[in-house]
Amino acid sequence: MTNILEIKDLCVEVEGQEILHDLDLVIADGEVHALLGPNGSGKTTLMMAIVGYPEYETTKGRILFNGDDIIELDITERARLGIGVSQQRPPTIAGVKLQQVLDYAVANAPQRAQEIDELVSTFQMEPFLERDINAGLSGGEIKRSELFQLLATRPRFVMMDEPDSGVDLEAMNVIGEMTNELLARNHAIRPTERRAGLIITHTGHILDYVHADRAHVMLDGYIGCSGNPRIILDQIRKYGYQECVRCELRRHRR
Amino acid sequence: MENSTNLRPVADIDLSQFATAPNTQRPVLISPDQVELDDAEVMASVGVHVKGEDRSGTYILRDFHPLYAQARTDGLELLPIADALKEYDWLRERYYWRAVPADLDRYTAQCASAPEPQGYFIRVRKGTKVPFPVQACLYIARSDIAQTVHNVVILEEDAELHLITGCATRTDVSSAAHLGVSEHYVGRSASLTSSMVHSWGPEVEVRPRSGTIVEAGGTFVSNYVSLRPARSIQSNPRTWLNGENASAKYLTIILGSQGSTIDTGGDVYLNGENSSAELAHRAVCTGGRIYQRGLLVGNAPGCRAHVDCAGMILDAGEDGFIEAVPGLRSLHPEARMSHEASIGKIAPEQVAYLQSRGMEEREAVSLIIRGFLDADIEGLSPELDARIAEIAELAGHGER
Repeated sequence: MTNILEIKDLCVEVEGQEILHDLDLVIADGEVHALLGPNGSGKTTLMMAIVGYPEYETTKGRILFNGDDIIELDITERARLGIGVSQQRPPTIAGVKLQQVLDYAVANAPQRAQEIDELVSTFQMEPFLERDINAGLSGGEIKRSELFQLLATRPRFVMMDEPDSGVDLEAMNVIGEMTNELLARNHAIRPTERRAGLIITHTGHILDYVHADRAHVMLDGYIGCSGNPRIILDQIRKYGYQECVRCELRRHRR
Repeated sequence: MENSTNLRPVADIDLSQFATAPNTQRPVLISPDQVELDDAEVMASVGVHVKGEDRSGTYILRDFHPLYAQARTDGLELLPIADALKEYDWLRERYYWRAVPADLDRYTAQCASAPEPQGYFIRVRKGTKVPFPVQACLYIARSDIAQTVHNVVILEEDAELHLITGCATRTDVSSAAHLGVSEHYVGRSASLTSSMVHSWGPEVEVRPRSGTIVEAGGTFVSNYVSLRPARSIQSNPRTWLNGENASAKYLTIILGSQGSTIDTGGDVYLNGENSSAELAHRAVCTGGRIYQRGLLVGNAPGCRAHVDCAGMILDAGEDGFIEAVPGLRSLHPEARMSHEASIGKIAPEQVAYLQSRGMEEREAVSLIIRGFLDADIEGLSPELDARIAEIAELAGHGER
């Protein structure tokens, strides 16, 4: 299986301060990985650097998407290659409606018009369409709006930043369903038909709804350990991220 | 640029440098097919389509003479103002120069002194809902003239009209003056929407003067869009909400550019019980000076008024700025009045966000500007969208 994402020795600076240090990460096509880690460990920075936000400056290393280095590409070009993102705190844009973003998606893929209409109905998005993007929405509503925009374009690779934060249980069910739909986890049996993804989660709640193939723990700007998501999450839930830090210190002493 | 708070916003026009209306017989009205193609294209850019499709009436004034005036629906009259004055004695007695005084300033005086007044007279009879917009074009095809215009619009009780007035200069006209008087009378429970689009040559001086009187239950909506600004535009339309529950809503959209000074205001006098007024100014600065004013005067129990000025500076150029001066004056303890103002740049995180959905930078900028202007004006969206796209293109490339 090819790798959809391959990150090698990545260093990223924000406002002159290095946040990511020689980070390595590989995600095979069709796999979903969870990115765990304490607050401030650099999870969002990694995601924004992959999306291509100019204030997240890559000073060293490579990001290969489907085998091609994308470091020199801007956000638009990366999005058009199939990198989609659901942000934790997306900006509100006065006067710009969700419907306009959907219209843009349909204009670029007219054959998907009917499918998008059906998705609107399935996920009960009608009340959001004529509202300004992200304006006055609750935490759960923002996640739904973000995920829905991704559903409208079905990117090859989806990154989600804390889809489970600030969301009540009822909304969590919907977000789980939307995520599984987005990653084609419900109906695509063969791994090659699935979408690849990287889900950032601090609490791990989303992993009760969405199966992840692998998990990584991020500590202070690099990947501390990787493995079975269930085992890693159980350890974190029992002992907290402090144990990850201690484990990492022990490993370095050896 | 020096930091002066005493900038004289707009200089007086030296009217002696412009040719004024000749004292000659005016030509016979022609058919719209005879409008030259170049002229028709300019007119289309300000929302006036000479073939008149989806329009209930058309009036075209070129330089000093009307080319065409026709109403296409029952209950609607559309005449050159000179003809209407000959036909209706009551027009002069009750309406002409009643909402805008002839001696308001030197520009209204200039209009009053024209040998034969030019402009349109529109009357919508009681209860008539005009199905499509009526369009009027005030067009300047010759350089160095001072075009004077006097329009009167009367809506009788329960009448409804959307009027689109497009003002423009031919592409090869750089210097001219446009002095326009517009008087609107909105009867009981009548509804007038007036959308005015300006697209001028770079040396044109523009002084519109308008007055609107709204009776009980009447509604006046004014949309003003300046697409290609002149050297200077100065206007301060005045509205009197004299009847109970009368309302007025102004949306002013200015796309400023290098070398222009645009000073637009709007005084609304809320004299009717429970009358309401809302003024919204939106300006995008790519150079040039933009003043956003507005004065709401609350003078009746239960009246409500809000003025909102918002500016976006894409590029201030050498000496460009936006100055917002929203004003409130309350004469009644039960008047509820508020204002807000904000000026800023386009937010990079908003552009990046839309790019992450696959949009090009200029597409994202265009959508954000469109959203900022929030200009959903019936019948004008294509023209506005085309101009916003041009501005977004410039903004996206960091050029002017």
